[in-house]
Amino acid sequence: MVNIFRWSWGLLLAFFCLFLVRVFLPLPFANEILIFAIYTIGCNFLLGRVGFISFGQPAYLAVGAYGTAFYLFYFGSNPFVGILIGVLSGVAIALLVGPFFVRLRSDYFALVNLALAVIMFYLFEKILAKITHGDNGLWFLTNMTSTPIIDLGNPSDFFIFTFLLAFGVWALYKYLDDSIFGACCLATKTNEDKLKFLGYSNFNIRWLAFVIANTTTAMAGSLYAVYFGFVSPEITAPSRAADPVIVTLLGGVGTLYGPIVGAFAYTGMKDLISGYIANWELFIGLLLVFIMLAGEKGIWGTLEPILKKLIFKKKNSTN
Amino acid sequence: MNTHASPEIIRTDNVTKKFGEMVAVDHVNYSLCENEIAGIIGSNGAGKTTFFNLITGYYTPEEGTVIYEGKDITALPAQKRVALGMMRTFQLTSTFDSLTVTDNLVLSFIRAHKKHSLFNLFVTPRSRHRNNDKIKECLETFDLQQVAQRDVKHLSLGEKRRLEIAMSILAEPKVLLLDEPLAGLSETEIKGVLDVLRLNVSKQTILIVEHKISKVEDFLERLTVMHEGKIIADGKCEECLNAPEVRKSYWQID
Repeated sequence: MVNIFRWSWGLLLAFFCLFLVRVFLPLPFANEILIFAIYTIGCNFLLGRVGFISFGQPAYLAVGAYGTAFYLFYFGSNPFVGILIGVLSGVAIALLVGPFFVRLRSDYFALVNLALAVIMFYLFEKILAKITHGDNGLWFLTNMTSTPIIDLGNPSDFFIFTFLLAFGVWALYKYLDDSIFGACCLATKTNEDKLKFLGYSNFNIRWLAFVIANTTTAMAGSLYAVYFGFVSPEITAPSRAADPVIVTLLGGVGTLYGPIVGAFAYTGMKDLISGYIANWELFIGLLLVFIMLAGEKGIWGTLEPILKKLIFKKKNSTN
Repeated sequence: MNTHASPEIIRTDNVTKKFGEMVAVDHVNYSLCENEIAGIIGSNGAGKTTFFNLITGYYTPEEGTVIYEGKDITALPAQKRVALGMMRTFQLTSTFDSLTVTDNLVLSFIRAHKKHSLFNLFVTPRSRHRNNDKIKECLETFDLQQVAQRDVKHLSLGEKRRLEIAMSILAEPKVLLLDEPLAGLSETEIKGVLDVLRLNVSKQTILIVEHKISKVEDFLERLTVMHEGKIIADGKCEECLNAPEVRKSYWQID
């Protein structure tokens, strides 16, 4: 039997499951899961691999979304170019603030990112209101032109594009895990003094990790912008700052599939529970408390060893 | 005091470090020569580790200078001192607990071969160097083959100590600074560590900070005794240990 935990097979299997989501569940739900998973993987990487918790991911999400929105509202109509600009905006902001933020300890890092999310909220809502149209937001759904082969204005095509993009992002993070850089990230998380005295620059390693993580977050922002054809400052509302951290914890910190499982569970529960209870966050909060008390492993972190055991047991018995 | 024939590699001039009112290292003048095997001993709180931290860049002295191969490195950050050929271990074993033993050694190996630019780190898979001959040899020398694929967090203290020293030696430094490398080890493990260090004696300068002299007495060419932040004796082991001031402060014999 094929060992599904060998990375390529594991990745293919995970995305096959996502494809099943598309077949059996409503398309908006599948799209939302994919975007949310991309949104979360940066946060998961920072927390699980580099040891930085960030409560300011909406800031980078908003930079990506507004980068795309500005282009599609004011300058052009090709959504692919819009996404590219959004991603580049993410790279730019991470390169710019990274050198200041990655010097901080993890707890201060969490707070300074939250502060950035608040700053971005007021920047897009008030200070730049003339170009962002404040709370009314920017509407550009009708500005987007159809593109050949994959038309991002079509939700079904959008799913295929996001699916491929997500696969690429996961392959990148899997590659990072297997690279020396990934080892350095874990090393800076567990023992930064030792890494320094081995002659490595903690600063450079953290900065690059920060840029990679927040570029993928900005990519999720761009995808949101193109999918909804609308962006408002609500995207960086401080009240939503904990979302990616919640999904990270729900899925399992530092696990590759945690963000997908977390996004699925979070979005699923939101859709399911909000039909019965208006304050669905209460249920998520209780679940999170339970997960933390049960060993902080999250859903995938708990399931993975059980699945491994089952598969290896089967493998051994067939041998 | 320096009687060694080789050129000087490290020198400290009047280095001083204070923590609030307490003077941990008090105007210490010290020099170490190439390929010398030297030790610093002293009772708890004598300032040995602080002095060590001043040499390696963990702390910056309030007064005085640290010279390495004739260059003033007093304000040089720790990782740049490593680039000059200085490598240290820590009093409490310091390894990367969430990585495997082999991956710990890979990080050290890459650093030694100057392949640690961000670009190289990014494009190199971890597996590339795992089967490197030097790493295999190192695992064998330090008797770590059995635990090579194990995460360091699951190792015993002795194995961790051996790994830390293995990492330092694999990095091929000019000067190896070992902070209490034998603490918490069994007699057999101590013998094992000293045997490995002996293999490198002619290639490296070694400075060992130890609490108990009995463990390293035979190994050292030169001994320095510290007490209350000052050097109170420096020279051959036997001479130092019999010096009246050392008998009084270290052995507490009048």
